Amino acid sequence: MTFKQWIKSPKAYVAAALAVYLLIASLGTLDPKGLINGAISVGVSIVLDILFSLIEKRKRILPDGAAVTGLIIALILGTTTSWPEVALTAAVAILSKHFLVYKKKPVFNPAAFGLLMSVIIFGTGQSWWGAFGDLPVWMIGFLLIGGYAVTNRVNKYPQLFSFFAFYFVLQLLMGLYHAGDASDALRPPFINAALFFGFFMLTDPPTSPIKVKDQIIFGALSALAGSVVYALFGGLIYLFIGLLIGNLYKFLISRFSADNAKAKRPAVTSPKSY
Amino acid sequence: MAKMKNKWIVLCSAAVTAVYAAGYITTADQASRQQYADVSTTPAASAVPAVPYSGNSGAPQTADSSPSSTPARSIYKDGTYTGMGSNRRGSIQVTLTIANDKITDVEISRFGMHYSESDVAGLPSEVLHNQNSQVTNVSGATYSTKAFQSAVQDALMIARNA
Repeated sequence: MTFKQWIKSPKAYVAAALAVYLLIASLGTLDPKGLINGAISVGVSIVLDILFSLIEKRKRILPDGAAVTGLIIALILGTTTSWPEVALTAAVAILSKHFLVYKKKPVFNPAAFGLLMSVIIFGTGQSWWGAFGDLPVWMIGFLLIGGYAVTNRVNKYPQLFSFFAFYFVLQLLMGLYHAGDASDALRPPFINAALFFGFFMLTDPPTSPIKVKDQIIFGALSALAGSVVYALFGGLIYLFIGLLIGNLYKFLISRFSADNAKAKRPAVTSPKSY
Repeated sequence: MAKMKNKWIVLCSAAVTAVYAAGYITTADQASRQQYADVSTTPAASAVPAVPYSGNSGAPQTADSSPSSTPARSIYKDGTYTGMGSNRRGSIQVTLTIANDKITDVEISRFGMHYSESDVAGLPSEVLHNQNSQVTNVSGATYSTKAFQSAVQDALMIARNA
């Protein structure tokens, strides 16, 4: 693949958008720690991804997906997170990408899986600083511009609109019935988190479905699961849990359709002996 | 799969934005109450430097503590005080008990952060030990640590003798 071809690929779109966000957010917060965490996270992700790809003898060893995973992790983890925790979070994400697989594709979004495990195992905090959660509200515009470009490139609008429609309706109902803290969820930094999540994590092609109907169900399921977790427990990991539930749905429909295809295939008869 | 037409993208975006706006307006009252808490407590707390305790901690006493001089004016009023500390990730309310210029009890009376309360469970004992609002930053819970610190400072401000 030439550079010209690569730059038009979905992964290049996402990687470019996230790299720009890393720079903008670092300048906005005047905090170089985010850049350092970014280098660590991306570095560990790429090295491990290449290593596993070599072990698995993959034909295509281009760690652009790993770089995206590393960038997402760095943009979500708090900038004060220690470097070993950043590195281990990236390592867990890449491990999940290579070990929790179905038909050579990861079952779970690697970044979401790594970040969720990071909270559970290391107790890391998440600030979503790369989604401009601590910066002026108008900077959400950057998320929308990059987000729409990426969603268009990966052709995931049905999923995106389904997710946001269900997510906002559920938050509206929570607000009306005073269940959970919808006022927080709809305002910075949580709305930044939801937008970043919807545009750059939910739309990940290998871990989300292709068909329109499946995309709509996937988006709705992720929004429902995430909102229920938020209403019951609050916290910051509700979006990841929602996505992993959506990933499970995608895994199940892939498996179900594979089983169906196998069942419909005519039985292979043994060659006649002469 | 066919690409979604621009007309539908615009329509869906408008519909989603409308639902978001409805939720935003519905929760405006709740948000303004929280914002009021932010404005009324955090700036006051952060404007005041950590007030080091100089009472009965065993530290060298000032000349005022001499028995022959007039009784030293205490820094804090005795009693129980609550303070609030907030940031974009939530709020923490602490209740401090002060007796004879000494912080005798600290507890987190309301935890409204979007993190686990266990992250900051050890901070009240640090305040008791240090006798001021300075606590060690909890790695991974920086926002909770800052809100807790602000809450303690806020309570100490309220407790201060005029």
